[in-house]
Amino acid sequence: QEFQFGPCQVEGVVLQELWEAFQAMKDIAQAQDNITSVQLLRKEVLQNVSEAESCYLIHALLEFYLNTVFKNYHDKAVEFRILKSFSTLANNFIVIMSKLQPSQEKEMFSIRESARRRFLLFRRAFKQLDREAAVTKAFGEVDILLTWMENFYQL
Amino acid sequence: HIAEDTSDLLQHVKFQSSNFENILTWDSGPESAPDTVYSVQYKTYGETEWQAKEGCQRITRKSCNLTMETGNLTDLYYARVTAIDAGGRSATKMTDRFSSLQHTIIKPPDVTCIPKARSIQMIVHPTYTPIHTGNGHRLTLEDIFQDLFYHLKLHINHTYQMHLGGKQREFEFFGLTPDTEFLGTIVSSVPTWSKESAPYVCRAKTLPDQTWT
Repeated sequence: QEFQFGPCQVEGVVLQELWEAFQAMKDIAQAQDNITSVQLLRKEVLQNVSEAESCYLIHALLEFYLNTVFKNYHDKAVEFRILKSFSTLANNFIVIMSKLQPSQEKEMFSIRESARRRFLLFRRAFKQLDREAAVTKAFGEVDILLTWMENFYQL
Repeated sequence: HIAEDTSDLLQHVKFQSSNFENILTWDSGPESAPDTVYSVQYKTYGETEWQAKEGCQRITRKSCNLTMETGNLTDLYYARVTAIDAGGRSATKMTDRFSSLQHTIIKPPDVTCIPKARSIQMIVHPTYTPIHTGNGHRLTLEDIFQDLFYHLKLHINHTYQMHLGGKQREFEFFGLTPDTEFLGTIVSSVPTWSKESAPYVCRAKTLPDQTWT
């Protein structure tokens, strides 16, 4: 069982555990998000991502999730008593991040830029919302992220 | 002006999904009258507009089939019901965010059990879903869930069972006693999504042994 984001291979992470951790929080997290007309991880961000792009995109998304979303959602996780599942998810994201080695070679510039444009679409939508609402919405959309990650998961 | 509390007209608005057949259900409230009518709307998460579901406007029944409207596997959906009673009081309630991939329950597989003299063959038939690809091809559960596999058990006696499993569709339990009844159970399982069906159960009696001894 491993993730294969194009050239980036990530072993030792069991996708099912990520799903189980998120499912334990999903109803609480998504119930806090009452902006049903905005989806941050929308089709233009995640659909038709090439293998080569995928490593850059997942790296950018996980970095944002860890440094911005999880960091600012921690207090809510305590408040909603979902800290154990929250920590399981965050720790697994840290493991994945640590094993991703996106290539910095010149030839990969256009692919890197394509992945970056996708990420910026997501971040721009995030910034257009009120900060707390954006963090809540992004956290509630982890299932969209996991569904996309599954495309790169090999049993 | 104090808004009247009408939440007693309507409750438990939710999707019930099995094999990607997505049915919206709800309950009337403790105070609602039998002539209360209900209207259903739905939308894709991320979109602004709500769509009225044709055929589920001002109905008295408490369910509505939204399979076709919620058929995109990567989209997430919301639905909402508005209840209006004879007195003109109304209440609207919305579902949680719905993903058929995450929420659908897998029904037991369809299996044919074929007894022979010293073995029982089990053939699992493909399970077609209402989901179609762009070119109209109807998807099976196996198409949708790459890691779907079958787990078969044959109960020999109270203490002993034989087990088989795999992604293929044809299985055979060998080395059985002729002219004997056996109980077989077959379960579909999708580990990545932590889904497992209820068992399909078949009883089969091996044939009398015709070979000359």
